[in-house]
Amino acid sequence: MAPPPIVSGLSPNEGPPGTRIKIRGENFGNQPSDIVGLTICGVDCLLTAEWKSPNKIIAISGTGKGKGEVIVSTKYGGTGSCNVTFKGYHLATIGPMKESAVWVEETPLFSWGRHSLSTTSFQQEDPLGLSIEETENKISEDFLINHFAGKCGDITSTNFSPGWFLLENHQNTSFNDLSAGLVHLRRKVQGQKEGQLSFLKANIGSVMDQVDTLVNIWEKYDSDLPKLGNEPTLKLEKAIKESEREARKLFDEVLSRKDRAEKTRNALNVLQRFKFLFCLPCVIERNIKKGEYDIVINDYMRVKNLFLKTDVPVFKDAPSEIDKRIEELQKKLHQDLQTMPITVEQQKRLIRYLTNLDSPFDAAWDAIKSRSDYIIKKFKSIYEYHKSTEKPEMDKKKGSANKFAKFNNSQLIEVNTVPACVNFIDEICATISEIFPDLWKIGQAYFSGELQVKVEAGRQVEYKYMVMNVIESFCKYIKASIIPNTLDKADRNQFGTLTTPERDEIAHYLPELLRSVRSSYSTLIRLDLPNEALDIIGNLLLDLRIHCMSILFQQTTEQIKQLSENWQIQYNGKYMGVTDLPIKFLQLVEDVIQIVKESALSGEQRESPLLDKPTAKKELEKQVDSILSAFHGSLSTLSFSEDLEDGEDSSPVVSQLIGTPVSSQKTSKAKQNIPIWEHRLLITLSNCMFTKSTILDTILAKFKESGFPSVDGCVNNAKTKLENLERTILDRYLEQKSDPLVGTIEPSMYLGRFDWDVTVSPTDIRPYAKECINNLINVHAEVIGVSSALLDNVLTRIVETVAEELYRVMSCVQKFSRQGAQQARADIQALQEFFKDYTSDAAKGHFAEALDVVPKLENSEKALVEDVLRQCKARMKIQLMCLRKT
Amino acid sequence: MSKKPTAQPVIHKVIMVGSGGVGKSALTLQFMYDEFVEDYEPTKADSYRKKILLDGEDVQIDILDTAGQEDYAAIRDNYFRSGEGFLCIFSITEDESFQATQEFREQILRVKNDENIPFLLVGNKCDLEDKRKVTFQEASERAKQWGVPYVETSAKTREHVDKVFYDLMREIRARKMDENKTSNGRGKDKSKKKRRLCKIL
Repeated sequence: MAPPPIVSGLSPNEGPPGTRIKIRGENFGNQPSDIVGLTICGVDCLLTAEWKSPNKIIAISGTGKGKGEVIVSTKYGGTGSCNVTFKGYHLATIGPMKESAVWVEETPLFSWGRHSLSTTSFQQEDPLGLSIEETENKISEDFLINHFAGKCGDITSTNFSPGWFLLENHQNTSFNDLSAGLVHLRRKVQGQKEGQLSFLKANIGSVMDQVDTLVNIWEKYDSDLPKLGNEPTLKLEKAIKESEREARKLFDEVLSRKDRAEKTRNALNVLQRFKFLFCLPCVIERNIKKGEYDIVINDYMRVKNLFLKTDVPVFKDAPSEIDKRIEELQKKLHQDLQTMPITVEQQKRLIRYLTNLDSPFDAAWDAIKSRSDYIIKKFKSIYEYHKSTEKPEMDKKKGSANKFAKFNNSQLIEVNTVPACVNFIDEICATISEIFPDLWKIGQAYFSGELQVKVEAGRQVEYKYMVMNVIESFCKYIKASIIPNTLDKADRNQFGTLTTPERDEIAHYLPELLRSVRSSYSTLIRLDLPNEALDIIGNLLLDLRIHCMSILFQQTTEQIKQLSENWQIQYNGKYMGVTDLPIKFLQLVEDVIQIVKESALSGEQRESPLLDKPTAKKELEKQVDSILSAFHGSLSTLSFSEDLEDGEDSSPVVSQLIGTPVSSQKTSKAKQNIPIWEHRLLITLSNCMFTKSTILDTILAKFKESGFPSVDGCVNNAKTKLENLERTILDRYLEQKSDPLVGTIEPSMYLGRFDWDVTVSPTDIRPYAKECINNLINVHAEVIGVSSALLDNVLTRIVETVAEELYRVMSCVQKFSRQGAQQARADIQALQEFFKDYTSDAAKGHFAEALDVVPKLENSEKALVEDVLRQCKARMKIQLMCLRKT
Repeated sequence: MSKKPTAQPVIHKVIMVGSGGVGKSALTLQFMYDEFVEDYEPTKADSYRKKILLDGEDVQIDILDTAGQEDYAAIRDNYFRSGEGFLCIFSITEDESFQATQEFREQILRVKNDENIPFLLVGNKCDLEDKRKVTFQEASERAKQWGVPYVETSAKTREHVDKVFYDLMREIRARKMDENKTSNGRGKDKSKKKRRLCKIL
């Protein structure tokens, strides 16, 4: 059980009914429902009690009168006690002249004081003591007036007519009743008379006194008459007037004081009651400063609900003041809303504020618009910035271009600075990934109704246009800076162009740029943009990929063109005599395939494989073609160049018998690393073959493996070309080799005025044949020094020409002596024997024909020839072995 | 009442006077309920009474918190008659309120017709030192001139709040004891007279 409540303070301590009293004390319970009773001066006021705290209740006094206690009862504390008293009084006891500690509402006082005398309150009693009947068929008034002329039924009237009265009021009353009434009336009259008499009797003394007084007054009056004249009241009147004036003087002061007090009180009351309203402008300002917009909005709504429809001019002022503030706030919020950068959440909050404030702005839409504008502006500023950074670089480029070769220059730039357009694209991609999602998000929020804003018709279309516009301009900026050729002229002018750097320079950055754009793209895809918008970027990506691919291939082509031969033969693998060149070529091609595959070829999200597009495929083929032909070109340059340089002494193999310097000596003369021309021819030839048979196939396989479509056409084309080249080179080489070799046969044959019509029996083959063999061995050595694979081709051709020459020379011989014939046969057979492994059918034929030209021999002569041959073979065993295929 | 005269403690009637807004109610509420009310709501006339222990003796303090506003000036006489001791409050931040104390003093002396009525001059709001308009010196001099104590209080920080009430009550008690001693018989007379006065009121 809680302690009983005690009331120890009242504010105020007196007042009329309806006074609001703050009751303070102890143990008023812990919640409003704990209060179960409240009496003020004995009047139950529980209904008006308002629990504030265990120490405070506010209640409104009832009609209790006089001093009394305020007793609070609680659920757990029971009925309490009271230390102080409240004085209740009724308004009637207070007038304008009465002092009171409390303000009295005086307006109702006057209506209370005005007692209206209603006629019904004055109920006339029937003189006969009978109840007044409710007659239905009343005698009409006209009849009565006619019948009782000049009389009336009013009992108080002097012209009272009993007949009228009876007819009017007691038409249907029975005689007995009327008799009884008469008795009653009589008694009443009697009583009155007796009363009067007895009254007089009882008070005879005072009556006599009164009569005496009246006589005295009359006498006094008579005696005063001559003194004061006929109007004795005049002086009195004056005095009354005087006192009235005095009273008014007094009264006026009181009244004016009362008025003044009333005014003050009213003002205080109004201020108190509407403190909230009048303080609000300041509060709003303070909260705006603090950024507590929620509170501001709350207050504003409250004021609007409370005072919007008010007609009181004072209240109109404050709201207009508030409205001004709110308007400023709206403007400020609206400004904030459109000030970028800003997060979507912030924007949403601001939009909510603005919506709640009933702002005239279409906040949500403005937010979207400002975002879109912001993006476009940002693009523009990025562009301008990079355009400005580009300028000095260009100057530098121009300056340096004069000094350095183009190749060096581009390398220099590469090392020093990243091209402006690369930076630009990087940044613009980052920017769109960063800020576009916000535009999209807020747009989604707008249309999904999350912002609680009414979506106006047509906004969808406009919004779509906005989004498309942003994306399109994004794409166009990128295109303008990298692949301006894909843009219309108008667009190019609009978006301006950054100088596209040299191909070599850009090639390094392209895959990276592609990656940037792709990452932006994937960001956008994640946003679930409509396909229409995505396709724009999709197209851009496709263009970029094609561009990237073609630039990479072009770069490779360029690099291939720059490839230089070091003439270092690699003796390994199946193909001997191959230099670094084809390997390098392969390396480059493989590299580029890898890069292209990594960057451009593979399709990422929402990307189709690049080479499904016919344009892309065509481009690829073109590029592959150009790569291959570049290599072909460089090979052929290698095989034909330096012709002039070595041209003068390009007759390397001349007859040793004549004594010309041997070609091998020339190596020392030539540049250290670069072998002689024939050698180079051979190496190139070997490279050619190697490329044709191995490299190209490897490349083809690599293309396939990397997922490129078939480039068979190009490769086959290249193969044919290489074959042709091979043939040309071979021809050149043979021309270089066999011509001198064959040319030496005839002069050497007839050296020393030799005649086939000799008489000396042959003992050995002739020197010319030996020389021929040696020369061939020489070539053999040279070829095998490069690649054994070439032997068949080269030597067979040489042997063929040798055979043909032999036949020609033999057929020109006019006369053979027997010994001469023996000698010739031995020579031819020896050559045939030596060259056996490299003898083609044609060569065989030529040899046979040559033998036919030589006269037939006897058996003994044949034996001699055999003998010579045998001796020769034995002697030239080493040479023979040289020309044998192992 | 005569049944249990010991049970009912002595009542000391204290009246708060001073201009509007100096903190009479704030001091009262702080003393009564340990609470500081920041909202300003002009008082009409409030009564408070509670039991306290004054120097080991159970007494009741009855506080009449009056209206400071000028409009109520006419009804003050009535209140002042019933008061046994007065706390005359002014705000040290407002010179006008200090000047008004002179008027209050005069009115009280006139009504009570007693130069030695228990009376304290109280300078409230002493926490607002930076807004001070009435110097301690100035106020002390006036108190000295009147022959009353001067205390500075703060209803906000509760500084000296209890002190002023207790000091005043001690004065009232001392005075009552004096009266009883000097005129035992007259004391009864006086109370009778008082009761009649009340009736007329």
